[in-house]
Amino acid sequence: MSTTLVWSTIAIYIVIALIIAYLSRNGRQNSMSGYFLGERKLNGFVSALSYSATTYSAFMLVGLAGLTYNGGVGALGFEIIYFMGVSLVAIFGPRFWLVGKKYGYVTPSEMLGDRYQNKGVAVVAAVASSLFLIPYSAVQLTGIGYLLQGVTNDAIPYTTGVIIATVLALIFSYIAGIRSVVWTDSLQSLIMIITSTIVVILIVNSLGGVSGFFASIEANDPQALAVPGNGFFNFWTFLGLTIPWFFFSISNPQVSQRLFMPASLKSLRHMLLGFLVFGLIYTVVSVVWGFSASILFPGLENADLATPMLLSSDVVPPILGVIVMVGIMAAAISTIDSILLTLSSLFSRDVYRHVKGGADDRKQLLIGKIVIPVIAVLAFLFAQLELDLIAVLSVASSAGLIVVVPAIIGTFFWKRGTAAGVIISVTTSSILVIYIEATGGLLLGLKSGIWGIVVSTALFIVVSVTTQPPEQKANEFIDYVKERMKHKK
Amino acid sequence: MNQKEKFWGLIILIIVILGYVIPYAFLSDVTKWYGSFLIWSILAIITFVANFFLTTDWSDEE
Repeated sequence: MSTTLVWSTIAIYIVIALIIAYLSRNGRQNSMSGYFLGERKLNGFVSALSYSATTYSAFMLVGLAGLTYNGGVGALGFEIIYFMGVSLVAIFGPRFWLVGKKYGYVTPSEMLGDRYQNKGVAVVAAVASSLFLIPYSAVQLTGIGYLLQGVTNDAIPYTTGVIIATVLALIFSYIAGIRSVVWTDSLQSLIMIITSTIVVILIVNSLGGVSGFFASIEANDPQALAVPGNGFFNFWTFLGLTIPWFFFSISNPQVSQRLFMPASLKSLRHMLLGFLVFGLIYTVVSVVWGFSASILFPGLENADLATPMLLSSDVVPPILGVIVMVGIMAAAISTIDSILLTLSSLFSRDVYRHVKGGADDRKQLLIGKIVIPVIAVLAFLFAQLELDLIAVLSVASSAGLIVVVPAIIGTFFWKRGTAAGVIISVTTSSILVIYIEATGGLLLGLKSGIWGIVVSTALFIVVSVTTQPPEQKANEFIDYVKERMKHKK
Repeated sequence: MNQKEKFWGLIILIIVILGYVIPYAFLSDVTKWYGSFLIWSILAIITFVANFFLTTDWSDEE
């Protein structure tokens, strides 16, 4: 791929994104809910596109395509189980939204802290999120570095790619907080879905259309169309991979915080349905992409190279290839900038405010803005160092964040849940997940995510029933939600 | 949860379970496009439909 073409496309992308970020600066940004939640007034369309961009990182066209390359159709199943899990938004979304408005929550961990009437709960949930999400961002940055280096044959060195991505993520989250993030996200996801779909159509056509495409897979490796197929997706691996992702929409704060933002439940609905349409198309595109690579370039040692190979091949016109490549870079950036923003709000709202009692809204916002670049630099340094521990924490992130799920379910559906139950279940199971990931990823043959959900649920229940719940708050909170939801039939 | 949520929630739960059971228990030897590839695609579309109906009465009250 020509370096000049890559650089010019990156330059065009940066200019357009900066203009959009700049234009998004309407409304007040001088309050926590203004800066981090867009004053809870986001419309459904941008919410849907931005939700998609935040959820779908560079993982899809690199990682998921790679999983398909290695393990076949099981990769589709894996992503579809995640997709089904987004239905949790239909149950939890209106509840988050209602209490967010009533009690003025800015972060999901703030909600947990208030509901269980314990500052420690908010701090623990916020710290656990940062522990997994900063390394996750670092690995996204690493991915961009390698991708740019790979497709340009080292003309754009690893560090340059990482610096470009870090600086852009920082700028997009800084210009207007969540507003600049959602608008640049929307640009990214629109371009990505259109160009990657065109590329896949071109590739499938070159393989003789849909029937030719499937015939090629059957001729090449028939096992790829079934699970467990070649054994890559044996049932327990599949279960271990899918369980954490099933709960992703409520366990990961950078997406669950989005449930506070839509202007109305109707906007929330548009966000959910819009995302599902986007997600289904993008999932099929990424899986077909991976299959195509396995037909065209069988025998690659590293499946993550499948996408760079495909983009540089003769089947894809260079200009489209380069747009998709920059789109993958933008996809990683759009995930990182949301995480940056969420983590800084977690820090200022749930850690700083409680440690430094009495910090008002303006002070929290100031601290939040100071923390954004600090987290960006941390992620950058982690990406540079490429420590083993960082890779472990990143892999552990989806499984690690699952440990907060019982506490979130309890928030809305179980009056007996207690602060001690949350703190003990979250801390103990986080440590267990990290331990399992650091010692090979399996305990008694099961993956860390399965242990995470089972152990955190058991601990949350056992500790809760032996401790005193915050009865008054629990009754008020749950009864309010129940009453409001009843009116929706 | 209200009645509507219980109904559609149950449908989605069944879909999820089928998403594990059908491909692994019944389609592990079907190495064609109409095997697991098709079933997962269909289940995904049903998921969308369930979400569509589950959210029909969400209002635009701010």
